[in-house]
Amino acid sequence: MTSAPVPVRVARRLSERRLAILFVAPALLLLAVTLVWPLILALDLSVRDVRFIGQSGDFVGLANYADTLNSTRFWESAGRSLIWVVGNAVVQTALALAAALILHQRFPGVQIARVWILLTWIVPTVVVVIIWRWLLSNSGGMINPLLVQSGVINAPVGFFASRESAMTTLILINAWRWFPFVTLMILAALTRIPADLDEAARMDGAGRWKRFSRITWPLLQPTLAVLLVVGTLLSFNVFDIIWLITAGGPSAGTQTLPVLIYETAFRGYEMSQAAAMSVLTGLFLMVFAVMASRGMSREAGP
Amino acid sequence: MTGRLLLWGGIGFFLVIIGLPFWWVVTGSIKDPAEIIARDPTMFPQSFTLQHYAKLLAASAYPTYLVNSLIVAVSTAVLTVLLAVPAAYAFFRMELPFREGMYRAILLAYAFPGIIVLIPIYGFFAQLGLIDSLVALVIVNTTFALPFSIWMMRSFLGTIPQDIEEAARMDGAPTPVILRRILVPLLLPGIAAVAVFAFISSWTEYIFASILILSDAQRTIPVGFAGIIGQYQIDWGLLLAGATLAILPVVIIFALIGRTFVAGMTDGAVK
Amino acid sequence: MTRLTPTLTLAALLMASGAAVAQTELMLWHMEQPPHRVERIQVLIDEFNAAHPDIVVRQEPQNWGEIYAKAPAALAAGNAPDMLFAIPDFVPILKELGAVQDVGAFVVTLDERHDLLDSAVASYSYDNGVWAVPLYNMAMSLWYHRDMFETAGIAVPSTWTEWLAATEALTKDGVFGIGLPASKGLYTDQVIYTFMANNGASEIYNADGSFAFDTPATAEAYAMAAAMQQFSPPDSAGWFWGDAEACFASRACASIVQFTTITTFDTQGGGNAAALGVAPIPRADGQSDHATIAYANAVMLLADDAEKRAAFETFITWLMEPAKYGRFLNMEPGLFLPVTADGASAESFWANPMAQKYRSQIETMIANSANGRLFGFTGGNTFPSIAPISGQNVLSEVLQAVVIDGADPAAAVAAGQARMEEIAQ
Repeated sequence: MTSAPVPVRVARRLSERRLAILFVAPALLLLAVTLVWPLILALDLSVRDVRFIGQSGDFVGLANYADTLNSTRFWESAGRSLIWVVGNAVVQTALALAAALILHQRFPGVQIARVWILLTWIVPTVVVVIIWRWLLSNSGGMINPLLVQSGVINAPVGFFASRESAMTTLILINAWRWFPFVTLMILAALTRIPADLDEAARMDGAGRWKRFSRITWPLLQPTLAVLLVVGTLLSFNVFDIIWLITAGGPSAGTQTLPVLIYETAFRGYEMSQAAAMSVLTGLFLMVFAVMASRGMSREAGP
Repeated sequence: MTGRLLLWGGIGFFLVIIGLPFWWVVTGSIKDPAEIIARDPTMFPQSFTLQHYAKLLAASAYPTYLVNSLIVAVSTAVLTVLLAVPAAYAFFRMELPFREGMYRAILLAYAFPGIIVLIPIYGFFAQLGLIDSLVALVIVNTTFALPFSIWMMRSFLGTIPQDIEEAARMDGAPTPVILRRILVPLLLPGIAAVAVFAFISSWTEYIFASILILSDAQRTIPVGFAGIIGQYQIDWGLLLAGATLAILPVVIIFALIGRTFVAGMTDGAVK
Repeated sequence: MTRLTPTLTLAALLMASGAAVAQTELMLWHMEQPPHRVERIQVLIDEFNAAHPDIVVRQEPQNWGEIYAKAPAALAAGNAPDMLFAIPDFVPILKELGAVQDVGAFVVTLDERHDLLDSAVASYSYDNGVWAVPLYNMAMSLWYHRDMFETAGIAVPSTWTEWLAATEALTKDGVFGIGLPASKGLYTDQVIYTFMANNGASEIYNADGSFAFDTPATAEAYAMAAAMQQFSPPDSAGWFWGDAEACFASRACASIVQFTTITTFDTQGGGNAAALGVAPIPRADGQSDHATIAYANAVMLLADDAEKRAAFETFITWLMEPAKYGRFLNMEPGLFLPVTADGASAESFWANPMAQKYRSQIETMIANSANGRLFGFTGGNTFPSIAPISGQNVLSEVLQAVVIDGADPAAAVAAGQARMEEIAQ
């Protein structure tokens, strides 16, 4: 089926390559300039001794990295970040899967529902913070009276009064805020599963659970896998919701790594230390992402 | 039977967890101050007042914040689409040195806590004279939206059968023409998805906006809203009114184009 | 001759207006973002600008949450403001950057003219200089519902024993005797310090820079605060600024410790002035005087320029004249207190309707503020490490260890001092 002589094809190949580079160049340039370059500057910051912005610090080699790796605070925060990420993954995936499966059905108002499921995602984070701080408070908050009236608890509680309940509550709030987007991604994947497969199975008498576990779930795997990796990265780096509600408290119970880094940089006036922490954190996440995506592509195939 | 029960139970559950908080916020914004913080909160407002909105609009620059947010969000959406579509196509179809490696590397952009690039970016933008300008926000927001947008675009490209492209190529059409005339119209749902994603990410961004913008005239809604919270007191009515107004524009936009956006994402493979 | 005169007049006018165009610009950043405060400041700025054609003052309200990162970044990038409002713990960092000008001489002049509050000046005087001009003061007091105390037949407590008993007696039927914060934040730092100060433990540094935090007096203060916590609402571990006042205004809290609750009480809590009680914070049984925390807000001069300095001094001098000073303070009536003796009696201060309505409360507040001080800024004993110690809310951390983790107060205080020492390195 060759229609053109060899030299023309080679020429076309070369110009195609140039075109490809032209196509990616703007995007890569932007990323290089606004992301890679500042990261390099941050790297430089991390091997100096800079306390606050505007200082020029002396070169100290890997001292900040050593301090960070030796600090219990760092590892405790890392542990909390792990809990945060896993908790979010579980709750968000559960909520999103349930919502996507529901929105995949036919019922009156499903089109509207598909749009407005996104409501909590389109709201600015500061607004989410205000909403929940008010709702969970003891003065005018609705949640406590509701729980008391329905008999779930006897007396009003403080949702941020203990480390465990604060972490749990924050995970739930964060999941509430982000699950709609995951829902949409899963729904998109669901709609790409050919309807006839499911129909045929139903004709053959397969029950709901069997259809889900044998057909739907395996076909969702690739999408879920990518969402998991990207979702983990994004969720790991969530900062504003935690900072604006508990500031990492109580008793450092919700002090995840981003919170620790922010506090070290801007409240503890240890910019270089914070930079070292960020670089280490970034490295951990990169290793995770690379390993996870390798595992994924092995499963998903070409 | 259980199927229908599960379905309606599920619908009810989501209706409650999403709808109820917003119901409380919106009704709270029109309640008397005393009723908002009452020990026994009310499900339906017992009072009615527009004083919070009046105070918000008269005394603060909320309309300015709104316009700024819109400018930044729309610009971010446009810029992201312009950069993501060609890049995604190149990663997907075209011959590129280190293609797979670069593609993987792009998503790694999310591996770093945003805070750490905050100060270097500030210094760098300061040298360029971009501090306190909306352009800086557009650049930053586009940067953070781009990796995921490229990924999304690429998977949309995957749903387009290769034969359409092959046919056009056989007819001797050069790549840019193929992209523009044939693929883009087919990709509109994907483009809409990327645009909305970029818009929303930009609309809700707070940290960079709070540091890069110095003057009230350039503030965006999240930052302006945080400012109303005040240092020593809280005016809950003002906050709830502010929250409602912060949500309103996106709600309106979604009411208008939401269906297209979702339909595009979920209409399945394009035949 | 007649034709020349108009031309000459025109020329003269043009030259005069040309000279007036050489204006000194002063950019002011402050953190009083609530809209009504911004409005009042603008009114005053407009008046000043009109009266002083050679100076133009502009304001850009900022957010306290952002300014700690933003100000150093702006300084490093060269777009810092000329004047910046400050609270004491905000100054040392900027001073380390060499960005703050010494305004000692100017403060002396103002002191001679208006009699500045000693503690206010003390918070900014160290290292052979005065690094900001005190502008407005805030001091904490005990606010209570008079009717609740009267109904229960309880007198206003003056000592810790009385306070504990009164608070316990008031805690019933869904009402909490007191609303005390137990969160990790500046408000909690401030409240816990009032306990420390009222037990004689107001210094956290020794004169040589070592820490004086780990003392029995401090531990007792924490023990008392923890004991009082049990009578506070359960969500107090998550309280930030407005929560205590919301509790008070809704009458879920019988009392709170705060700088003020006048505006919230007026707009959200019924506004019955006769029912709003305010008293000095109770002192420990062995103490002779009441004490409290006082935060003098001030303005720093960042511009290193003779002309701007002169303009700055003109502006501040103008602002502190009693006729304008009262109106400045009343950008938030019932919160901001005068730092000058003549400000406390200024008509412009008392002419405000809120000030009139709550006159007796405000007078008590002013009286209480005389006993106020601030940890880490007690005149001369100020060291740079106070900034990260305050910034990371170590005082709150110690309280949380006691209240949330159930640690023994003495042990928690010792750990707190260890943390301070770690930070100070």
